[in-house]
Amino acid sequence: MATQIRTQRPGLVLHRPFVATGAALLIAAFFTDWKYFSSALFQWANFSAWLITAGLIIALIAAVLLVIDLLLGFGGSIRWIDFAILALAVVLSIFNAFIHSRDAWTSVVPEGIILSAIVAILLIVAGFRGWSVTAVRVRSEGERP
Amino acid sequence: MNRALCGAALIAAVALAGCSDKGGDPMRQYGPNPYLPEPRQYLLPPMSVPRAIGWQAGQTPHVPAGLQVQALATGLMHPRIVYTLPNGDILVVESNGPGTVPYRPKDYVQGPIKARGGSKAKGGNRITLLRDTNGDGKPELRTVFIDHLHSPYGVALVGDTLYVANTDAILAFHYTPGATSIPGPGVKLADLPAGPINHHWTKSLVASADGSKLYVGVGSNSNITENGMDAEQGRAAIYEVDRLTGGMRIFASGVRNPTNLAIQPGTGQLFAVANERDEIGPDLVPDYLTSVKDGGFYGWPYSYWGQHVDVRVHPQRPDMVAKAIKPDYGLSSHVAALGVVFSQGETLTPAFADGAFVGEHGSWNRFPLNGYKVIFVPFANGRPSGMPIDVVTGFLASDTSVRGRPVGVALDRTGALLVADDVGNTVWRVSAASARPTG
Repeated sequence: MATQIRTQRPGLVLHRPFVATGAALLIAAFFTDWKYFSSALFQWANFSAWLITAGLIIALIAAVLLVIDLLLGFGGSIRWIDFAILALAVVLSIFNAFIHSRDAWTSVVPEGIILSAIVAILLIVAGFRGWSVTAVRVRSEGERP
Repeated sequence: MNRALCGAALIAAVALAGCSDKGGDPMRQYGPNPYLPEPRQYLLPPMSVPRAIGWQAGQTPHVPAGLQVQALATGLMHPRIVYTLPNGDILVVESNGPGTVPYRPKDYVQGPIKARGGSKAKGGNRITLLRDTNGDGKPELRTVFIDHLHSPYGVALVGDTLYVANTDAILAFHYTPGATSIPGPGVKLADLPAGPINHHWTKSLVASADGSKLYVGVGSNSNITENGMDAEQGRAAIYEVDRLTGGMRIFASGVRNPTNLAIQPGTGQLFAVANERDEIGPDLVPDYLTSVKDGGFYGWPYSYWGQHVDVRVHPQRPDMVAKAIKPDYGLSSHVAALGVVFSQGETLTPAFADGAFVGEHGSWNRFPLNGYKVIFVPFANGRPSGMPIDVVTGFLASDTSVRGRPVGVALDRTGALLVADDVGNTVWRVSAASARPTG
């Protein structure tokens, strides 16, 4: 009897790469906030403002693609814990974008960098859980047993 | 609680002003001891900009009984400063900022909103001359006096030399009495702090009483150091420039934006109007009119109105806060005082015999709106004293639309008040109602 060789790879889920990309930017904003906090060089705070803004724009794209995923059945069913983690990160980041629109020190310290840290932790957790709001169907390839 | 409500409002994306608290009575903030509430930090930068609609034919601002107002010139290109030459000719500086590059996401939102109020209209980068020989307020001659300037603002004539403060340099032009145009480009007397950000671009200018020195107002390069401390080198200061050598020194510092300067008649004392910082409340921080002390430090960025610390500045400097001088006279918050000129006796009505006229361009980040008028600050014993008097009002058409915005003020040869209006593109002339044309 021949040995069955099976490979598995994730099925197509549209929103997932955008969740990961947006999250990377929002996590980076914590890094630049920390650099500003430790150096008071204004350009770090500007980086944070741009990273949060860009992260939120990509999060919006991810949300639209999530709806498409659900409508077209690309992913599996929605995973509410991941949805809650990511939604909270987005809501906090919206607040954070406004806080970062302040001028000079208080655009980051203390509220801004605290929010950035919370968002970064939430997103790292979301990362370990697979960057996805829906279950990911696994497609098997190879001979059927 | 209030903050939580604001947050909820934000997420629901409600109206821009919905979250900012309302400003109180501006009259509490005129005078030597203005009411100063606790500073606030906002989630959403407060903005309230009326739409620029201009003047219809025949419309004018309002003046009190005993005065009359007429348009001396219309169709100008963003007039900012008016200046009277000894022969009575009137110079109108038509100018706007050289433009800034957006730095932050916020700049892309605020820029277009401010532009609604006419602040981004193209400036003429030139000086126009008006000649009204018989003083009836209808110029017989209107010529381009100096062209191809670079965001000019202040002008001052000393002897036969006319100084023009471009945004990046003081230029000197030879002036012959009666001249109706001067060919460029002029001779540079001194460089002024300008790019690359040049947040507050106007360079106000006045000559000392004896004509030996020029004073130049240079605004800060940010609201409150958000462009970094390096960008503030040599800014937020009033310079003294030696007229013969062009050598300069900082005469006074910590003045966030000294938008105009004037020499008090008789005493020769330098006075300034200055615009204070934004985004810590509708009633913070009052703009001011003050005598300027040699070597004085007026607080920016570390503190305001003396020792009120601004927590947005880092690192903080208690040593500088301790040095900060309180200005003489509050003009209330966010009025954007841009023009100042001393009266010269009873040329209008007796009420305006001793004091200073101040052009208040009007607020862009306060609700209700504040400013948008020319006021008179009475003086007694050489110092501002008492409540201001409204002189020219009616620039606002409604709470949400504006016909014009006053900027620079000057007196003409007859002592009538001239007001540059950079949204109405007009120069207004306010004279005593009883005034007759003079020969």
